[in-house]
Amino acid sequence: MPTADEGETAVLCARSVGWACEGRWVLLDATLALAPSSVTVVWGANGAGKSTLLKICAGLMQPDRGSVELSGRDFADLDPAAVASRVAWLGHEPALYLDLSATENLLLSSTLMGDPQPVARVLAALASVGVAVADCHRPVRGFSRGMQQRTALARMAMAPQSVWLLDEPATGLDADGVRILAHILDTARVHGRAIVVASHDFSFLGQADAWWQLRNGALTAGQPR
Amino acid sequence: MSTAQLTWTLFRKDVAIAARSREVLGFLVIFSLLCAVVFAFGFLREGRAAQEHVPGVLWVTLLFTNTLGLLRLYSADEEAGAWTLALRSIGGPTPLFWSKAMLQLGFSTIVCVVLWPAVAIFLDARAIAVHWTALALLLGLLGQALFGALCAGLLAQIRLREVLLPLVLYPLAAPLLLAGVKVTALALDGAQWPEMQSWLLLMLAFDAIAVVLCPWLFARAVT
Repeated sequence: MPTADEGETAVLCARSVGWACEGRWVLLDATLALAPSSVTVVWGANGAGKSTLLKICAGLMQPDRGSVELSGRDFADLDPAAVASRVAWLGHEPALYLDLSATENLLLSSTLMGDPQPVARVLAALASVGVAVADCHRPVRGFSRGMQQRTALARMAMAPQSVWLLDEPATGLDADGVRILAHILDTARVHGRAIVVASHDFSFLGQADAWWQLRNGALTAGQPR
Repeated sequence: MSTAQLTWTLFRKDVAIAARSREVLGFLVIFSLLCAVVFAFGFLREGRAAQEHVPGVLWVTLLFTNTLGLLRLYSADEEAGAWTLALRSIGGPTPLFWSKAMLQLGFSTIVCVVLWPAVAIFLDARAIAVHWTALALLLGLLGQALFGALCAGLLAQIRLREVLLPLVLYPLAAPLLLAGVKVTALALDGAQWPEMQSWLLLMLAFDAIAVVLCPWLFARAVT
């Protein structure tokens, strides 16, 4: 569990978060503090509540008990848009408009996040994740799952938010894609981002600063064996 | 970035997607015409279509067609989890609501432009006081788009939405339907402003409530 000092210096801090579904406590007492320039891994069995914890930290769900604070301010006191402008989220699905091209998707998301990007920067971001120039203007409906995930990673790489929450970000990626993901996380950490990754694939997470296992609704420090 | 700018960004995205897939608008127009033909056959009397049924056929067909369109209104956002992206914009969920209401109003206006003359031809209606009917249609479609975007958005993540949407929407749209039918019937009878004033003001008041209430309820419910 994070100490009181860690909680005070954290960018994002979840305190004794609990969440119940149909009478069962999925999360019971989960406490997590994220420092700037750090990569935190949350791991655990299927159904342990990793995605739920990340959704609560992204403001997409409300906890039934406990609280989440962003720079010392409770989510309950913040506008959801204010949370979104500080916390970037990549869920199980790539969150792309399938009838738009990769370029249009990234231009749209940067505008929605209040940080409109020029086309040249978007194309550079797509090139950096291995999306070919010819594919940048095709609807992403025709992309494979892996290419859609790469597009979502390019959007993440451009995200200005200080906290990044990634739920199974290696889904659908080949070995090259996983290397690109590792590079994006490394660069983001160098630039001061506080990153949380919930994953079963640990091959790209060698550089993580903290490992937390989610079991019986609570987080305990420790790496998988 | 203002809510209006974000709304415009999302609306342009919705229009681009609708223009690329094309299927929704085409299906809506065809469905509305089929519906009108079925009604026209249903109201045939001694080989002649009954003109007095024009208001009912026009408004009920529009309501059915709008319901069909509303079921697809958020489909592009639900695919691949894009819904979360739009909801988490810096403007919150309100720009998403307005963009969907504008898209629905656009769809229903295009359908109406095709359907109205078709109903008039099928049921052999006279073109009298067209401007009052046009005003009533504008107010009616606006209200339906606002309440429709609200209901469709709230039900977007629910499994039985196809069944639930009419059950939730039709009671809300009933006052607009009633007033719209009345104004159209009065216009066909050659009535003027004093006779239809109360119905048009009712529609206007209903729309004013919808403009304030629907985006607020949408933002509260989806967050």
